[in-house]
Amino acid sequence: MNLSELTAPFEKALTEPGEQVRQWKAKQGGRAVGFLMTDVPEELIHAAGFFPYGIAGGNAEMEAADAHLQPWICSYARNCLALALGGKLDFLDGLIVPQNCDTTRMFSDLLNHIRPFPYMDIFRMPRQVGRSSAGSYLIGEMERLKYGLEQYAGKPIDHSDLRSSIALYNRNRELLRRIADIHAQNPNLISSRDLYTLINGSMIMPREEVGELLTAIREVLEGLTGSGNAGNQVRLLLSGTLLEPLEILDLIDQCGGTVIGDDFQNGFRYIESDVAIKDDLLDALAERQLNRIPSSAFDIEHRQRRYYLTEVAEDKNASGVIFLHLGFCEPENFDSYDNLQAMKRAGIPAIRIETQFGRSTLGQIRTRIQAFMEMVGGDDSGCR
Amino acid sequence: MAAGEVFKTASLMKELMTRYNETGKEAKDSGIPVAWVTAVSPVEIIYAAGLFPYYPENFGAVAAARKVADKLSAFAEARGYARDLCGYARCGIGDAYATEHPVGEILSPDLLFCCNTQCGSLPKWFEVAGRFYNVPYFLLDAPRVGLETDQLCNSYYVEQLHEMIAFIEKLTGNPFDYDRLSEVLALSNEACRLWNEILETAALKPAPFGFFDASFHMAPIVTLRGTREAVDYYRALKEEIDERIEQGITAIPDERYKIYFDHIPCWPRLRWFSDLFASHGALVAVSQYTHSWAYSFDLERPLESLAENYTHEFVNRCFDYRVERKINLMEKYGVDGFVLFSNRSCKPNAIGLYAKSKLIREKTGLPGVVFEADMSDLRFFSEAQVLAKLESFFEQLK
Repeated sequence: MNLSELTAPFEKALTEPGEQVRQWKAKQGGRAVGFLMTDVPEELIHAAGFFPYGIAGGNAEMEAADAHLQPWICSYARNCLALALGGKLDFLDGLIVPQNCDTTRMFSDLLNHIRPFPYMDIFRMPRQVGRSSAGSYLIGEMERLKYGLEQYAGKPIDHSDLRSSIALYNRNRELLRRIADIHAQNPNLISSRDLYTLINGSMIMPREEVGELLTAIREVLEGLTGSGNAGNQVRLLLSGTLLEPLEILDLIDQCGGTVIGDDFQNGFRYIESDVAIKDDLLDALAERQLNRIPSSAFDIEHRQRRYYLTEVAEDKNASGVIFLHLGFCEPENFDSYDNLQAMKRAGIPAIRIETQFGRSTLGQIRTRIQAFMEMVGGDDSGCR
Repeated sequence: MAAGEVFKTASLMKELMTRYNETGKEAKDSGIPVAWVTAVSPVEIIYAAGLFPYYPENFGAVAAARKVADKLSAFAEARGYARDLCGYARCGIGDAYATEHPVGEILSPDLLFCCNTQCGSLPKWFEVAGRFYNVPYFLLDAPRVGLETDQLCNSYYVEQLHEMIAFIEKLTGNPFDYDRLSEVLALSNEACRLWNEILETAALKPAPFGFFDASFHMAPIVTLRGTREAVDYYRALKEEIDERIEQGITAIPDERYKIYFDHIPCWPRLRWFSDLFASHGALVAVSQYTHSWAYSFDLERPLESLAENYTHEFVNRCFDYRVERKINLMEKYGVDGFVLFSNRSCKPNAIGLYAKSKLIREKTGLPGVVFEADMSDLRFFSEAQVLAKLESFFEQLK
């Protein structure tokens, strides 16, 4: 199969959300447990025998949520609520909400009152990761989450099941990282849009199938790496809470740019590291969580986000940074000024573009991206 | 004497808070570390360690009450901090960058202790401050607690209190004084006991004291909890209230209704709200907000007790607990209706408020209303809209 045939199932999964879950249920029976982006240890969901489904937004009648959420609440929560109220998450039997901001902290209970799922839980990730207390607490929280999943599954999650799930997830993440590397080295082989289609699609497809497809994609790409022109696209680092809408990547691709890194929950944060396979697997899951790349959820004293971003920009030779700022995302907004200042001090051109789930104006975003590309030396002849 | 007359104790409070702010400046000059702290956090540790605790939230509330939140916020907004951020944080960040200081300068910190029980805005604000002032930042992390006692959360918090004490010991070079902590905790207990006795007088019919009085008199229970001054202050206030009860002086002239109010007051319009409710014979008697400072510490097990009190406070609890808490207070104070303030500065309190309002109406049969505004910023206050909502609420009381 050629590359486009191999990436097609990921595109299809994104254009027909939930369809893969329905097919999986029809074929083998079972239940699906969704999760909001993206720090939930979904290996536990998988090991319990459920279909893990990552909700990164979707098409929904946003007005449905307006009666419950004030206009100044983040549009990701609004979108998720609108999806749930509009019946667009009916294929899910359960939902886990990670508490990484005030909105998610209160959102799960609201949902539980107005559109409950048979199984609901929260994941209370520690908001400091630099002290030893975080580790012992997090293992306890993982145990609590695991116990809840076992109760709902009606069977324990045994060590070998969890080990296999972790191995599968590690493999998928490794494949995605490898494909991202190939993309960064030669964006002509696989576009930014296609790369993020693979990442986002992999959150909502059967993970075994994801592994098979990604393996084939990697093989095709590796066969091509020696050939062709490495391209002269303008290398861009993106940053933000969530990458939405994915059409922004088309705009970047069209303007002669390419995305060489990011810290989105539905981007590099999802694939950046693996879980060690060792005797105590909950400890291993906790270790991964504590060592994730920085995000706006909390500041990591020994690994501050703005320095992390400047390092990545420099290491990956980025010409500029685009902050895609999800409107009404309070944690992101608190970081924004210092992030921009850090870029300025490092001499890295940067802009902030505001996005809204379901309500972004692509025309305006295009104009801003074009202007930025001109500034950082891109060829805007394709930006039409 | 007339109803609604200003408390004599009010002038005492002004002296007390002026003295508190002066002490902060003196601490700074004499090399005593100024530690920024948050309102629902174990300040007892800070007092016991001999540091000076400073409450930037209090600075935000003062700026809000003096109607200059928008002016200070403008300095933050000019740097890209959005208007939808917490109003207190915008005042604090704004003042740091400001060229004018209409309520005096925010006291710069030597270190930052934040507890995230209240919200996620505070830690983010403190992170910004850590970068701005280039000082160490310590987060006391409190995972949200559900309906039941949460042992996992308590253990995590106790472990962090040990880490916090070690952090302070390293900073000051002095061993932490647990005997001093016991004294501070006893003072906190006494201030909280008095404060809650005072709040409970609002249940009397008619009452000598209500929520708007409590909003005025709450600064010492927040900032001076753990000191002798707070105990003396609330003792004096309690005596004055007792005198008023004897003399038949009431909080409002013709109390016909008692109202439950969520949550933080709309500071720049405190007087407007107070007059509006009073003009309808409605005493705002109770709010979960002013009842937050109702701690009771066990001196035999100080750290465990600090953890239990602070992490299990309503601000760190789930939807159902908050609804139960509100209904319990409504019942205890025998209210006739409830008013819920959807405060855009306070997301944890505002998210789900419409669903909560519906549930409370169903469970209690009481009339209730939700209105939209901001606790500090008048740019988000539409008098006509708020008035229309409240007038229709008052109609339902009749």
